[in-house]
Amino acid sequence: MPGDQAVSGLSDEVLAAIDAIEAGPQGPAVGAFFDLDGTLVAGYTAATFYGDRLKGRDVSPAEFLRTVVTAVDGELGGDPTRIAHVAFSAMRGESEEAFADLGERLFRSKIAGTIRRESRALVMAHQRVGHTVAVASAATKYQIAPVARDLGVEHLVCTQLVVEDGQFTGATDGPMLWGRHKASGVRAFAREHGIDLSTSYAYGNGYEDVAFLSSVGHPTALNPHRDLRSAAARLGWPVLDLSDPVGGSLLAAGRTAAALAGMNTGVVAGLSYGLLSGNLKEGRNAAIKLATSLPMALAGVKVDVLHRERLWTHRPAIFVANHQSALDIPVLGNLLERDFTIVAKKEAKWDPRAMVGSVVIDPAYIDRSDSASARATLDGVVDRIRGGTSLMIFPEGTRSATPVLGPFRKGAFHLAAQAGVPVVPVVLRNSGELMRRSSLVLNPGTVDVCVLEPETDWNEDDLSDRIAALHTKFEETLARWPST
Amino acid sequence: MTTSEDFERWGGAAAWASGEELTPMQTLMWRAERHPVQSSTSTVVIDLDRAPDWKRFVAATEWGTGLVRRLRQRVVEPVVPTAAPRWADDPTFDLGYHLRREHVASREEMLAQAAQIALRPFDRTRPLWEGVLFEGLAGEGGAGAAYVLKIHHALADPLGTVQLLSMLQSGRRAHTARKPVGAEVGAPAVVDPVDLAVSGLRAGSANLAASALSTARTLVSTRPSTAVAATLRYGASVRRLVSQAAPPSPELSPRTGRMWSFLTLEAPLDRLRAVAKQGGGTLDDAAVALVLGGLRRYHERRGGPVPEIPVGVRVSLDRADDLGNRFAGAIISGPLAIEDPVDRVAAVRGEVLSLHTERALEVLEAAAPLLNRMPAFVGAGALQTAAVPDAFVLTLPGPPRRRYMAGAEVQGMYVLGPLPGAALTVCLVTVGDTACIGVNVDASAVADLRELEECLAEGVEEMASAP
Repeated sequence: MPGDQAVSGLSDEVLAAIDAIEAGPQGPAVGAFFDLDGTLVAGYTAATFYGDRLKGRDVSPAEFLRTVVTAVDGELGGDPTRIAHVAFSAMRGESEEAFADLGERLFRSKIAGTIRRESRALVMAHQRVGHTVAVASAATKYQIAPVARDLGVEHLVCTQLVVEDGQFTGATDGPMLWGRHKASGVRAFAREHGIDLSTSYAYGNGYEDVAFLSSVGHPTALNPHRDLRSAAARLGWPVLDLSDPVGGSLLAAGRTAAALAGMNTGVVAGLSYGLLSGNLKEGRNAAIKLATSLPMALAGVKVDVLHRERLWTHRPAIFVANHQSALDIPVLGNLLERDFTIVAKKEAKWDPRAMVGSVVIDPAYIDRSDSASARATLDGVVDRIRGGTSLMIFPEGTRSATPVLGPFRKGAFHLAAQAGVPVVPVVLRNSGELMRRSSLVLNPGTVDVCVLEPETDWNEDDLSDRIAALHTKFEETLARWPST
Repeated sequence: MTTSEDFERWGGAAAWASGEELTPMQTLMWRAERHPVQSSTSTVVIDLDRAPDWKRFVAATEWGTGLVRRLRQRVVEPVVPTAAPRWADDPTFDLGYHLRREHVASREEMLAQAAQIALRPFDRTRPLWEGVLFEGLAGEGGAGAAYVLKIHHALADPLGTVQLLSMLQSGRRAHTARKPVGAEVGAPAVVDPVDLAVSGLRAGSANLAASALSTARTLVSTRPSTAVAATLRYGASVRRLVSQAAPPSPELSPRTGRMWSFLTLEAPLDRLRAVAKQGGGTLDDAAVALVLGGLRRYHERRGGPVPEIPVGVRVSLDRADDLGNRFAGAIISGPLAIEDPVDRVAAVRGEVLSLHTERALEVLEAAAPLLNRMPAFVGAGALQTAAVPDAFVLTLPGPPRRRYMAGAEVQGMYVLGPLPGAALTVCLVTVGDTACIGVNVDASAVADLRELEECLAEGVEEMASAP
């Protein structure tokens, strides 16, 4: 539909590629293999690691010189994998654990922000249709694993370093998965996992990726290197040019960090106001407003709401929304503004991302393992609703990994019947694309919100039918987003 | 098969190869030739179900050379190499010099004689082909025959040779009475080597001045850093193309290039195509994989397994999956350690397609016009600088159906290519539903020829029986 591009931030070419993926064969027998450096992330993760080594003065002048000479030689037609072997042998004796920690640290501080948003959208498209998604790279797992985890990718096909007694020996286990070896690594993975390569997908950017790409039926040259671009033209392979993270990696990472800081600042400022003015409830409301609007403003997230007035006509109420992203909570908090709380599972109490919010809105925690205590908690919730506090609830239970709507649990609607309050349905779109479930990266963009007609007079007799009808309304709204 | 199809094909043959000058690549090969070590000679062995009537065979050949003028022409060189050599009718053309028949007892003897024929240099002042009909082979009925045709690359490359032969053969066993004949030509064109050199010098200096001017213009309009970067990238690509393939196998040396030994194998084409498809490759990839499968066994039995060997392949410069018109020769690292034939095809496919990232792939083609202005030994040197593979593998499309030559049915058509430094040259020709595989082996480089032949036959079997 028109406007999709502005809303989703994906180019027409990427949207067409996603449509083609969704229209093609589905299921785990179809593989989707993504190169790491230059494909999933902009730039080279190895350069980030090496930059860190240089900064930490771990590098002797001799090693530095050898590295530079080897790198230049690789560019000038020499063996391009020698540079990596020079680096690996320099790691002899280093602790694997420390290196893995370094990988995590560099991911948070630098690499996370370089993940291309449109690559992520492609990964998600493959996950939605149930393909077996893997990162296939000559890099080591210390570079790849944090990125793969952030993208929800389980499989790695990568260069293995030999570790003895927790230390690197400086050797690789098997060849470095570069060029032909990456291709054979992918073919071996396909044999092991029962993947049909002729219907599978691969994405790569380097000139050395031709063998890797030609292993599958659907190769795509993604932001290709000059020589791969000419080869792709000759071989008739599609080329996708993705936009790099806005203003480079640092800015995107900075936005996320600023958003987290903003949330904390908002909470502290709001609570301080409450303490100073002696009105804790107003203090909480101020904190919500600041804690939710500050980070979103800092991260460049805008909210576009249809029927905002319906958020205010039926309070107190139970607000039900679909759930795709950690971003949903600040977005809804920002919309509901005041006098509301949430029901959360007990485990979430200790989630650092939720803790900040939990101080502010005093959630009702449910212990799912103990139904008696769960019921008691909910009785308390009914009283709070009757006392004027609205409740925000995600009836799908957990965040869905995909924008596909999960089934609704009945709890929220039982509460509506018991407390005698209306249900206000809130449909969210795009939040999963701006900040994916369990991702640390928040991308700028617009979240679409549509508030549906509030539904009143809930009772136990026709609960299931009404829930089913409401579920259908959510699906229809997501499928055909209303213009007014 | 109708006669009208034959007529159409023969009409095509009459129009075949009508240019007057040798192309730059042909010229390079003509001038650089050092037979047999750096030879440009291909030999075709055609198995026939019976010995054709000799008179009819001679008459048919006479007709064929009349239809395709090139077969009665020779190459005229300018006195100094300022111009490309030209084709001119040979006023002394005598079919008896080019075509004869011999008697042999077995197919092995025929193949051995064919190799000896191939090793003898051409008379470069005459039309560049020689045909021998071998009779008395112990065929199925004991009456089999084979036609051996030796042809110079300047006249036709292996692909052109197969095309030409396919065009000249008949769709029927019976004689076709009123066959088309070539256009009547006037007096044989006399080309004077001195005139050729002088006119070449005049045109050449004009061209060189123009090209120098345009080069200078390009250089002026380009930023120096851009030009330097482009040159470095080109140089890097050349270096990768000539140096990065696998090291040559010690099991396939020392090569002298002076002892040719011919082997022939056949494989079911549909099975080869099925394996190629499973591995996501083409018939060319499957042919390379087949040869590698045979060589893998040979290396294992000789006790010297190696992970990969350099293999010379032909790459289309147009589109990967089309036949295209422009080809470049290049060397890949042929995987010798992969046991699964399908996986081997996929690996070969990856190697071949990877060549398309090399901007220098067209280097030989691009360099040919320039090298031709140099004395012959410089051109030869240029050809030698490229690393030499252990094996060349080439696939050629032959006739889609069984054809006839003067009443004898063609049962197989094998191309035995030259050995420009390689230990093996393998050509796969598709004839109907069969892949006819011709192997020229440098007998000095292979310690056990019988073992190699067995291993290659097992390589065929492995492909034919792949699930």
